Amino acid sequence: MTDAAPILDVRGLWAGYGDSIVVRDLDLSVGAGQTVVMIGPNGHGKTTFLRAVCGLIRPVRGEVWLAGERVDGRNPEAIAGMGLVHVMQGDGLFSDMTVEENLLMGAFPTTSWGARQGALERAYGLFPLLRERRGQRARTLSGGERRLVGLGRALMREARILLIDEPSLGLAPVMIDTVYGAIREIRERLGTTILLVEENFTHIGGVADVVHVVEMGGIVRSGSLEELSNDRTVVETYLGSL
Amino acid sequence: MNDASRVGKLPKLSAGSRLGIVALIAIVAAVPVVYTNHYVLTFLVTALITLVLNTSWNFVLGIAGVWNFGMLAIYAIGAYSEGLVMLHTGMPAPIAVLLGGVAAGAFSVLLAFPTLRLFGIYTSLLTFSFAQVVQFVIVNDPKGLTGGSFGFPTVKGLYPNLGPLAQLRAYYWTVLAVVVVATFAVAWIRSSRLGIALRTIRDAPAYAAARGVSPLKYRMLAFAISGFIAGVAGGLYLSYNQSITSSVMGLTPMSIDVTMLVIGGLGTLFGPVIGTGLLTFIQQALIDYPGVQLSILGTILLIIVVFVPGGLVGLISRTRRRLSNWVEEDETALPTTEEAARSTEAGT
Amino acid sequence: MSQIVAILISTLVLGSIYGLVAIGMTLIYGTLRILDMSQGSMVMIGGFVAWGVLVVANSDPVVALVAAFAATFVLGTFTQLISVQPLMSRRSDLDFEMVTFITTFAVAIVFSNLALQIFGPFQKDVPPVISGSVSIIGQNLSYQSLAMAVTSIVLMGALGLFLARTRWGLAIRAVAQDLDAARTMGVPVGRLYPLTMGLASALAGIGGVFLGAQFFASPTAGDLPLLEALIVVIFGGLGSLSGTLYAAYAIGFIQSAAIVTIGETWTLPVLYGVILLVLIFRPYGLRGNPSEARL
Repeated sequence: MTDAAPILDVRGLWAGYGDSIVVRDLDLSVGAGQTVVMIGPNGHGKTTFLRAVCGLIRPVRGEVWLAGERVDGRNPEAIAGMGLVHVMQGDGLFSDMTVEENLLMGAFPTTSWGARQGALERAYGLFPLLRERRGQRARTLSGGERRLVGLGRALMREARILLIDEPSLGLAPVMIDTVYGAIREIRERLGTTILLVEENFTHIGGVADVVHVVEMGGIVRSGSLEELSNDRTVVETYLGSL
Repeated sequence: MNDASRVGKLPKLSAGSRLGIVALIAIVAAVPVVYTNHYVLTFLVTALITLVLNTSWNFVLGIAGVWNFGMLAIYAIGAYSEGLVMLHTGMPAPIAVLLGGVAAGAFSVLLAFPTLRLFGIYTSLLTFSFAQVVQFVIVNDPKGLTGGSFGFPTVKGLYPNLGPLAQLRAYYWTVLAVVVVATFAVAWIRSSRLGIALRTIRDAPAYAAARGVSPLKYRMLAFAISGFIAGVAGGLYLSYNQSITSSVMGLTPMSIDVTMLVIGGLGTLFGPVIGTGLLTFIQQALIDYPGVQLSILGTILLIIVVFVPGGLVGLISRTRRRLSNWVEEDETALPTTEEAARSTEAGT
Repeated sequence: MSQIVAILISTLVLGSIYGLVAIGMTLIYGTLRILDMSQGSMVMIGGFVAWGVLVVANSDPVVALVAAFAATFVLGTFTQLISVQPLMSRRSDLDFEMVTFITTFAVAIVFSNLALQIFGPFQKDVPPVISGSVSIIGQNLSYQSLAMAVTSIVLMGALGLFLARTRWGLAIRAVAQDLDAARTMGVPVGRLYPLTMGLASALAGIGGVFLGAQFFASPTAGDLPLLEALIVVIFGGLGSLSGTLYAAYAIGFIQSAAIVTIGETWTLPVLYGVILLVLIFRPYGLRGNPSEARL
């Protein structure tokens, strides 16, 4: 844990859809430059948690603090404007827009045309594949390419914190390695603060500073990746297997 | 109370509500006895005819959930058919009215087919196009059957042998009786298997399809019934006014009717009654300011839709529910979609 | 031969103006998922603005176009704010399409009634934006019609560029394609929705200036263009910009052919007949698809 005030601080968060509450009394904080990973089986509230943090759903109870400002109850565009970047589950690409248009949307809050072009160049520099595909419509891309566009789009503006929802979901193993390579790049080269959600430990080696195990909408264990993956009870009880 | 055994029965009303409904009908029926102002009675008969039309429109638009904006054409078809029967055969007027209803029902069933594959707005355009074509045919009728834009030739009314006031009263009671019958019919249909099937098709089309609820059969039935009622309303209109022009199916009457339905509460039983009553009253109050009538109606429509979802009936039931935990008969006694689907299944 | 030329010229003119009015409806449908029934009012208002500028103020056509654009932009934004925005948060609890169909229709009723109160029921003649005409293979084409077609095409092209190249244009398309994702990019939908409707209304307002000059300004001048635009957008498939364009010229062609061959009175019934057939065989229009009505 860093000494400075955390970038993201969530206190006693309850959230869900309609009458069904999926996130129950969840506390979590992410310090500057940290990569925090939430691990847990499907349907236990990880995606709902991210959606509540970024404002797409209104938390039922609890507080969300972003860089010292309370943001729960604000709308997602306002929270996004404060530097929270969310790579949604399933990419959230605009399917009928080209790769370049998708990337430019990532820089929407940047009003200067020049600055947006600069960000575009930076994203192309980081992921050269995107430059090759720049004129292609998102719907014609493969799953892995889509994921890279999603990550590239997230880099189009200054992120105080980057939320990434299950980057390995539905990808072939080779592509997963590429995607995690990209995440490592973002973390190490840009020093971005990251909150990442995954279903299991398999891919997060070398990325995670802190790991939380989520079950039934709450955090049940926390620790470093090493501690947790060596803890047989955690592995067997919550995750079934590695 | 919501179980399948209630299917096919009228919504169960408390003794108080039943008494209230009977009292309301009695009071409305007594109006022409107490009040003999010719102008006001004429106005009320027209309002009651509109109410018959609105009852059938509410059925197809609110309960069956089909965006049928061709209803005024069906209404006009009923009227013109009745007129043609009257003019070219020696049939008595009441039978002609019923035949007009049958003709309107038949056209309505024809209209049901193409709507089956359509959704929402597409349905509204198709039915509206149908109405436009009907209006065009009526106006430009090459054989001169309809009287074109001059209007239909004068026909005999239902009560040619009565004096002016007696005639007015007779029309009043006749139309009122039709209103009562139509409203009860719609109430009964709404909780019958037909009504439940229609609402399932409307709210959960996939579920309905999976359960083998045939949209074709039920929608045809719904269109037939609503068409018949609307046709009868048209026939009553012609008999009462003894003439008709195609302007009855114009945009202005349509706006007013839709406003009535929405203000009352689309898809509710008493919505058409409340909406038609209230708007008739407002129109009457604004009779000296004909210019601003539509502006005010439009504003009311906007405010009701935005701030009072479910119209006045919805507002009343919410208020009542808030006042006490008393079960509100008009709305809550009806099965929800899921229950509806289940009981349809049980009945199939 | 001369009939064919007449049909083609008329197709170009009618199709362009239909396209201009209808493309706004498509833009609104794609972004907000509503069918904007107040679009016809904007045509009507554009006509009156033209009459006010050209006849009352005796100013020139460019001023009329700019004034009509501005007035209908403001009124379109206003219409969205009173008839659609308040329902936005309850979007999932109600039949949003039907409810907004009714609320925008209510606004249209009020607009045309107010116009009736202010300007009276009589038609007002609006002078042509440009006078004179040119002869093409024996067929007369007035500069007015030509200006109408050219302006419409230029504006539609400009709209296309705006949507493809600019920050806000991209945002409109992004919202149409994935609302949640667009919001997490920081697109302020609370502002974008009214502005989109303002923009679409302004296109109809420009159309109204030309239609007013072609026919006249009157409180009901928007009714027919609304019906025609409805036919076009539904024929083309709701939410599809390219479909709208094809449909505009297709409808323009059908109507022109009907006018030239069987006469003016038959045009609308023929159109409605065509629509009936199209909807029976292609329930979502030529290019529409219910699940992906996207810009």
